[in-house]
Amino acid sequence: MNRIRLYWSLQVLGWLSFALINLFFVSLDRGISPVQISAFTSLSVFYLLSTHAFRNIVKKYGWLNLKFSRLFVNTLMALAVLSVLNMIAQIMINLIFDTLDPEVDLRPVVISVNIFVSFLFYSLWVMLYFIFHFLDNYNQSLKYKAKINEIQLNHLKSQLNPHFIFNALNSVRALVDEDPKKAKLAITQLSNILRFSLMMDKKRTIDFENEINTVKDYLNLESIRFEERLTVKYDIEPVSFDFKVPPMMLQTIVENAVKHGISNRLKGGVIEVKCHEGINDDLVIQVKNSGQLKNQSISKKRDREGHGLSNTIQRLKLIYGNRASFKIYNSGSDFVITEIKIPKQSLTLG
Amino acid sequence: MRALVIDDERLARKELINLLSQFDQVEVVGEANNVDDAKEKIEALSPDVVFLDIQMPEKTGFDLLEELDNVPHVIFTTAYDEYALQAFQVNALDYLLKPVEQKRLGEAIERLQKKLSESAKKHDETSAARQGNKLGLEDQVFVKDGDRCWFVKLSNVRLFESDGNYIKVYFDTFKPMIHKSLNALDERLDEKSFFRASRKHIINLSWVEAIEPWFNGGLVVTLKGGDRIEVSRRQAARFKDMMSL
Repeated sequence: MNRIRLYWSLQVLGWLSFALINLFFVSLDRGISPVQISAFTSLSVFYLLSTHAFRNIVKKYGWLNLKFSRLFVNTLMALAVLSVLNMIAQIMINLIFDTLDPEVDLRPVVISVNIFVSFLFYSLWVMLYFIFHFLDNYNQSLKYKAKINEIQLNHLKSQLNPHFIFNALNSVRALVDEDPKKAKLAITQLSNILRFSLMMDKKRTIDFENEINTVKDYLNLESIRFEERLTVKYDIEPVSFDFKVPPMMLQTIVENAVKHGISNRLKGGVIEVKCHEGINDDLVIQVKNSGQLKNQSISKKRDREGHGLSNTIQRLKLIYGNRASFKIYNSGSDFVITEIKIPKQSLTLG
Repeated sequence: MRALVIDDERLARKELINLLSQFDQVEVVGEANNVDDAKEKIEALSPDVVFLDIQMPEKTGFDLLEELDNVPHVIFTTAYDEYALQAFQVNALDYLLKPVEQKRLGEAIERLQKKLSESAKKHDETSAARQGNKLGLEDQVFVKDGDRCWFVKLSNVRLFESDGNYIKVYFDTFKPMIHKSLNALDERLDEKSFFRASRKHIINLSWVEAIEPWFNGGLVVTLKGGDRIEVSRRQAARFKDMMSL
């Protein structure tokens, strides 16, 4: 509705000023007369109606969806037709107002000039019309892309693994008798994690400190569950705390490492979290776990974990474009390293 | 009833054993922290029931059941495995969600008690079908085929058919495969209830509906439900002996 009103205001204003400007210049030369006012107003009205007719044709036949070359040819032909019609209209107007001078106005040169001038006006109109649509389209598709981006990100947000929550609660319950102090601490840590995962849900990136604290709480809780099967090491450079990271991303990677490096192994193993600044001023996060990556385990779709990692890759891409990276590889014959590199700023604000 | 608790986490085992200690009818005879350990203890202790965690390192609870010849009653314990439990098609099995609720545990034990005494009665009626530790009609086997699992009472299995390294187990409208040889299975089955009809087939005698003579002195047996199985000439004589008074 708004767009239609905008169109008509521009049309009326544009052609009105066309008439006024013409009248102004003519009046400098010959003074102003009612006949001239009516004639130029009529011509303006003709321009308005003819361009409107052109717009209807463009809309009706979906010219804006045509290939550029096709659109160009079509428009050129339409412009020619419009210019000729305009020339005829000028002669008719002159006839009606009895200002036609056959000696002058019907000379081929004058007719060609008239056609050429109206061709220019029509071209200007068409250019403005198409530029408006082009910008408008561009704007819309940007908005659309941003929206899609947002929706995808929300889909990819990792949630706390319910399996972890209930197992943790179960071991805390056993701990209540065995070591009440430790049980209390575990309850605090579990509530920290739950609060974090509920609150950080909506954010695109968060302070590194928040993320690493959650990971520490998480690993503490898993240590209670797995006891001597889980050994945790940290090596975190202070500079890491200057960075922002996507929420729950390191958490997902660590969860995955625990699953493969600890819970799927009889004897358990080691989890090592290393964070330092890379050569490109980016944050390099490495999570090392015991075990070996089997080639088939990637291609073989094993629900959650495969899902978790491909989610991580997609999230990095959506937030940072090509400036972030994700790698997972065997380190020697006993360990697997998952590595992400995160630049200082995200691609889009939000 | 004698119970074995299987879970890879010490605290989880402790918690469950603690809960079980409040039921006089339950005696925890042991605990195991992985599938291999559990398999040994089940064979050594032959418990009436195992409390079985599904997620364990290297092998899952399902793997354990597949490896067992004679499956005791199972109550699954799991933190959050809707998906795994949905895999079960037949036989509403019992499962407990961790942390376990005392009341739910009590109900599960009660139900199991009933089942145990019923099947004990039937065992008596079938005049101790168990000789040694052969599998009788009242025993159940665990069958897993892809994502679907069943506990099947052998009385519901009408036919075993060998297929390469696998055996097709026919019951209801299903015929999932198990990884076993027919010879090994034959040795484990009670010969009063199951008959080796040929190189390829073992039939459940209580499902036999009709018998017709066939070429070369063989026989064709029709089972309830319409499956027709050929009995080889060598086995036909034995079969006649068994089926006649």
